[in-house]
Amino acid sequence: MTKSVASISEVTLPRVASEIPFYKPHGSEVELFEHAFSQQLPLLIKGPTGCGKTRFVTHMAARLKRPLYTVSCHDDLTATDLVGRHLINDSGTYWNDGPLTRAVREGGICYLDEVVEARKDTTVVLHPLTDDRRILPLERTGEILQAPPQFMLVVSYNPGYQNFLKGMKPSTRQRFVSLRFGFPQPELEQDVVIAETGIDPETAKLLVKLVSALRSLKAHDLEEVASTRLVVYAASLIKNGFAPVAACRAALVEALTDDEEIINALMEVVNACFGE
Amino acid sequence: MPELFVGKLWDRLIKRAVEHRVINTQVLFEDIVKPAGILFRALGGDAGLALKISQSTHHQGERSWLRRVARSEEKIELAWRDDEALYLPSSINLFPDASLNRELYFWLAALAVEIRDGSWFIENQQATARLLNKFPGLNARYQRLLHATLLCRPDIGSLSTDNAAQEEILRQALTMPGYKSLLPQAQYPWHPVHLWLHPSPPLSANTPSAPPARLKEFEQNENSKLVAQDQRKHKAERQDIQERKDGFMMFFRAESILSWAEYIKVNRPTDDDENEDAQRAADQMDVITVTRDGKSTASRIRFDLDLPPEESDDMPLEEGILLPEWHYKKNQLLTDHCRVQSMVAINATPSALPAHLTVTAQRIRRQFETLVSVRAWQKKQDEGAEIDMDAYVQHKVERQRGAFVANNGLFKTLYAQERNLSCLLLADISQSTDAYVNNNMRIIDVIRDSLFLFSEALFVTADQFGLYAFSSLRRDQVRFHVIKSFSEKYNDQVRGRINAIKPGYYTRMGAAIRHAGSLLSKQVSHQRILLLLTDGKPNDLDWYEGRYGIEDTRMALNEVRAQGIRPFCVTIDEKAGSYLPYLFGAGGFIVIHDPSQLPHKLLSLYTKIIP
Ligand SMILES: Nc1ncnc2c1ncn2[C@@H]1O[C@H](COP(=O)(O)OP(=O)(O)OP(=O)(O)O)[C@@H](O)[C@H]1O
Ligand SMILES: [Mg+2]
Repeated sequence: MTKSVASISEVTLPRVASEIPFYKPHGSEVELFEHAFSQQLPLLIKGPTGCGKTRFVTHMAARLKRPLYTVSCHDDLTATDLVGRHLINDSGTYWNDGPLTRAVREGGICYLDEVVEARKDTTVVLHPLTDDRRILPLERTGEILQAPPQFMLVVSYNPGYQNFLKGMKPSTRQRFVSLRFGFPQPELEQDVVIAETGIDPETAKLLVKLVSALRSLKAHDLEEVASTRLVVYAASLIKNGFAPVAACRAALVEALTDDEEIINALMEVVNACFGE
Repeated sequence: MPELFVGKLWDRLIKRAVEHRVINTQVLFEDIVKPAGILFRALGGDAGLALKISQSTHHQGERSWLRRVARSEEKIELAWRDDEALYLPSSINLFPDASLNRELYFWLAALAVEIRDGSWFIENQQATARLLNKFPGLNARYQRLLHATLLCRPDIGSLSTDNAAQEEILRQALTMPGYKSLLPQAQYPWHPVHLWLHPSPPLSANTPSAPPARLKEFEQNENSKLVAQDQRKHKAERQDIQERKDGFMMFFRAESILSWAEYIKVNRPTDDDENEDAQRAADQMDVITVTRDGKSTASRIRFDLDLPPEESDDMPLEEGILLPEWHYKKNQLLTDHCRVQSMVAINATPSALPAHLTVTAQRIRRQFETLVSVRAWQKKQDEGAEIDMDAYVQHKVERQRGAFVANNGLFKTLYAQERNLSCLLLADISQSTDAYVNNNMRIIDVIRDSLFLFSEALFVTADQFGLYAFSSLRRDQVRFHVIKSFSEKYNDQVRGRINAIKPGYYTRMGAAIRHAGSLLSKQVSHQRILLLLTDGKPNDLDWYEGRYGIEDTRMALNEVRAQGIRPFCVTIDEKAGSYLPYLFGAGGFIVIHDPSQLPHKLLSLYTKIIP
């Protein structure tokens, strides 16, 4: 779903997804999303990488039958990239909508992933959109767009991320309904892994046990924590015939660190689960 | 005949078991401590526990099997866990195969996660069973270890009836853990069970309460004397001395006993209280313990050279780095004149940013953030946020003239300024920083806060930085504390070390700057900055004072400049010395009179530093 900003002008408008992607709720987040949607409130999702934020939003957009514009923010992303810009052709210049503007025009959902990564000025355009005015002024064209009721802004960021300092201003943050994602409970994570890969429950259980063990190393030994995404990767490797120990090494252990000594230690943990 | 065959195998094994002391199958604690710690924590072990080497236990059973067979004096190191640490043997050389010895370490670390209080015999079995059930991958490992262990255990046929029965039960408990609840008594103690944890042993001599029953049971059976006990007692003794109120203890180097004696007779004009001065000097000294009753110098001297390194809070990292010193009168660089000793506070407890700094830190971070996003418009780009009007008009004009022009470079875009900077913070933590700047802060406190705030700032700007502190005690002991090396992350550990800095000794600035310079020059950044945090002048116990010290410092600064390093100085001093411009140049320093100015000053300094 994620498109780079450079290419977004060329792709056709996203349609409402015909199939609802699988999403296993942790709690009442589906209801909360629906509530925010109907109340026309913007939504903020906090959570570590790979815990299902994108999947959740994709799922909800399909469920609510709204087109979804996903923007992965990065530190060069500017307000212009969201709103749009003038381009040049033979006859002169013409205006080209950015993904945010399109979502507003169409009454879609705009999802700004890792919003703290974006340049400061991006938040400026979000302010009037997220308060009760719900407008998007296009400075360059003089247009002022009134967002339709179906328009919804969803942003996410990872609070434990290194650049937590770049966190949003309270004045922006306080406009949002917030949702915090963590890693799912073992049984739930197990279900996700099974549903995503079709792996046998026994292996799924062990994988989840392994990943919980690795997560407990956060802070003391590891800076990164293994995500559900990584478990899903490991499971699909195993499902495709990889030996579990090798799969865990490739998908989980190597993704967490480059330090060889730590890798060896983590392999001891892998062996405790899948050793032979 | 199977018995015969087994007997032969047995003989071979015994020989190997004895020989393997020579063959290199031994695995050392050092080699596995890190991974074993990680495994322990990953499987659910308490991250607060340290991993330590267990003290060996004399296994004194008369018929201790190995001793009997091989006539070797056997010292056994077992593993156990208590509230503070997980103790593992200093080395394992039990099996004739290094990988098995290694696996045993990991097994013990894993078992330590599961073990709970209870009877040694029952709890070890149950912990084993629980562990194998939770982590099925360990089954294969356990089977390998079990197999090797059983081969090392005494031949049942060679034991007396009661010991044989006992051994039989032990073997069953190992093979099918969790089912045996009673270990029969026997005349002699059993052969140690290396796959199991000891019931948290070394009984400290001063433990007032009676040992728990399980321990008694174990003690009686094992009939083992714990060497560790002596050591504990020894430590306690020494502790007593340290805590004596009537005398005081000092630590210093052997060769400086005389200089110490000399020193306290010198009436330092700067200090009004001679005793306090002596006390202070004494506190600053290192390595040898001396007790003094307060009347005569060194009337009671107690050498305690056996102090283990972890007993002193600063561990020397290396033998020392030799550096030159500038003798301005001779106009000569004295080579190898100073010795720098790198040390790291190993006992510093990790900590968060101090509460009194959170608000300031937040402000600093926000200010510094703006520094990060200093960007400039780059014109004539093929892609960009804005149309480059100049280029566009030009383009239009050209086209209207009928010229063929490509649609290139009509946009402008914002670029972040590439900054590639390494900054080394060098804090003076000499005794003089113990002085108060105002009613509630000492200089050292301001320095500590500066280290914190600077770290916060540099962390935001994502610049490379290292934190070091120094003091000195004559030219042979320039103490260089590593708070955070460039490669280390700024984390709670580092903050703990910042917290741990405390004033002591003197200020041999030149050597410290030279050493800092050599660390910085190893950094590959475009820009290298040496930031000195100090309260004033260079000085040391010897002639390193006044002009001599200033000139050497100046020379050292020139040397680092020649290496492409830019030195800056933050001085915390009301009466900022006139020598500062001499050393750092007009724009090369800032003076802080009031610590509350710090955030503001830091920012202005930093904007000065960065391009
Ligand atoms: N609750 C869930 N239901 C279904 N799948 C899930 C769930 N949680 C995680 N997943 C799986 O984890 C993968 C990663 O999730 P997703 O891409 O949504 O993470 P994210 O939180 O958006 O991460 P990032 O911050 O890195 O973008 C998904 O592709 C999906 O396979
Ligand atoms: Mg995502």
